[in-house]
Amino acid sequence: MVEIDNLVYNRGDSVIFNGLSMVVPENRITAIMGPSGTGKTTLLRLIGGQLRADSGQIRVMGENVSKLSRAGWFELRKQMGLLFQSSALFTDLNVFENVAFALRVHTDLPEALIRNLVLMKLNAVGLRGARDLMPRQLSGGMARRVALARALAMDPVLIMYDEPFTGQDPIAMGVVVSLIQALNEALTITSLLVSHDISETLSISDNVYIISDGRVVASGSPEDLAANRSAKVGQFLQGLPDGPVPFHYPADDFINDILGATV
Amino acid sequence: MRIIGQIALQRFAQIGRATIMWYTALNSMPRKSDLPLFITQMYSIGLKSLVLIVLSAFSIGAVLALQFYTQLVRFGAETTVGVGVAMVLLRELGPVVTALLFAGRAGSAITAEIGLMNATDQLSSMEMMGVDPLKRIVAPRLWAGFFCLPMLAIIFSAVGIWSSALVGVDWLGIESVGFWAGMLDNVEIWEDIGKGSVKAVVFGLIVSWIAVFQGYDSEPTSEGISSATTRTVIYSSIAVLTLDFFLTLVMYGDF
Repeated sequence: MVEIDNLVYNRGDSVIFNGLSMVVPENRITAIMGPSGTGKTTLLRLIGGQLRADSGQIRVMGENVSKLSRAGWFELRKQMGLLFQSSALFTDLNVFENVAFALRVHTDLPEALIRNLVLMKLNAVGLRGARDLMPRQLSGGMARRVALARALAMDPVLIMYDEPFTGQDPIAMGVVVSLIQALNEALTITSLLVSHDISETLSISDNVYIISDGRVVASGSPEDLAANRSAKVGQFLQGLPDGPVPFHYPADDFINDILGATV
Repeated sequence: MRIIGQIALQRFAQIGRATIMWYTALNSMPRKSDLPLFITQMYSIGLKSLVLIVLSAFSIGAVLALQFYTQLVRFGAETTVGVGVAMVLLRELGPVVTALLFAGRAGSAITAEIGLMNATDQLSSMEMMGVDPLKRIVAPRLWAGFFCLPMLAIIFSAVGIWSSALVGVDWLGIESVGFWAGMLDNVEIWEDIGKGSVKAVVFGLIVSWIAVFQGYDSEPTSEGISSATTRTVIYSSIAVLTLDFFLTLVMYGDF
């Protein structure tokens, strides 16, 4: 579904990806994990065509995305869904209209059919009764579920989730975890999940990539990763504060810094 | 030198992005299916600016009548107050003041709205649904500004002339026939109303363009939106006043 080969992407002077390669197979849940700031969200935006790679190749549904025109991108995106970390609901539209948005723009379906489709999507995320609420009236968990219903509105073949568990209470988190798994199985879609919530992500993923320093440092099934003895993988999976991934942002020596300021 | 070069490159890149955005947006309207979006924006940026425009025009027309009267009455030429006010409003103050008020009222609102949509990923989510925000968000606002500003400028001039008549004729006692006849004899359809409207059309495009681009290109932070809103008002004001000089030079210049 998605093939990335030797991807290089820089933001200003910072190297975000330096030769990253990975494959996202069809009809599976693939997770991308890694410490904060490693470019997981950036990777989703590269796959979704909102950013352009400096070099390397990204193929989505067989299309070499670097060769797509603006119109070509908008056509391809009709088959993709992205659940944003911030939910990104349209604040001037209610829940129903948020979910109906893409259907109204891209199709000429009669109103009765749009209504049924939207209610089916909302029912799938348990929010059919919230159809008339405005986004400001929703809790964070509810907004995420509405955004999920909206991402599914056009029945995409690829759906990408950007930190779907962040900021969720345990009940909402459990709901989202089971929804992602159930939707992937029921709709036979390809799911790409970016997260650093280890146990939830590993519990539903078929494949996992761990990225750090702009590259893939480990990949495989959750069981493969559990057996991985790499220090970086171990630090990340066990949540250790310091290790190969340093706790501190690069800085001068602490003592010199403090004394230098008082002298 | 390197910093100057970087700033120059950033400015050129910004102008390039703004031009591409303008071209793409203007190319994508109006279609029949987009009519509701366009009407919504006409209401939002046009009709909602009407109260401000009418109140300002009433005040400016009244002040102009007073000023003209105090000067012209000394020469016994107070009946020419009407034509003086009409010329000033139709040729200059109508389009210019309307554009400045429009930039402050509607331009800043457009920038803040699009900037906030950008900061909350609403534009990105629209893109990811295969919907082009340039067509869906930017184009209706650009076209609405293009159509609204000339209409508002005409309303501004009409209300200004009416208030000048209230002050001049009804209050100060200028002879009504002389006041209106002088205006009708001297105001020309193309020279005064037409060329003033051309100015308003140009200002409408420029102010709307600046407003949508500043919102679209704003940094996705609260400070970024605030700066973009301020820039919209400043850049629009400078652009309107500068362009007014050149348009006047081109259209009326016979020096």
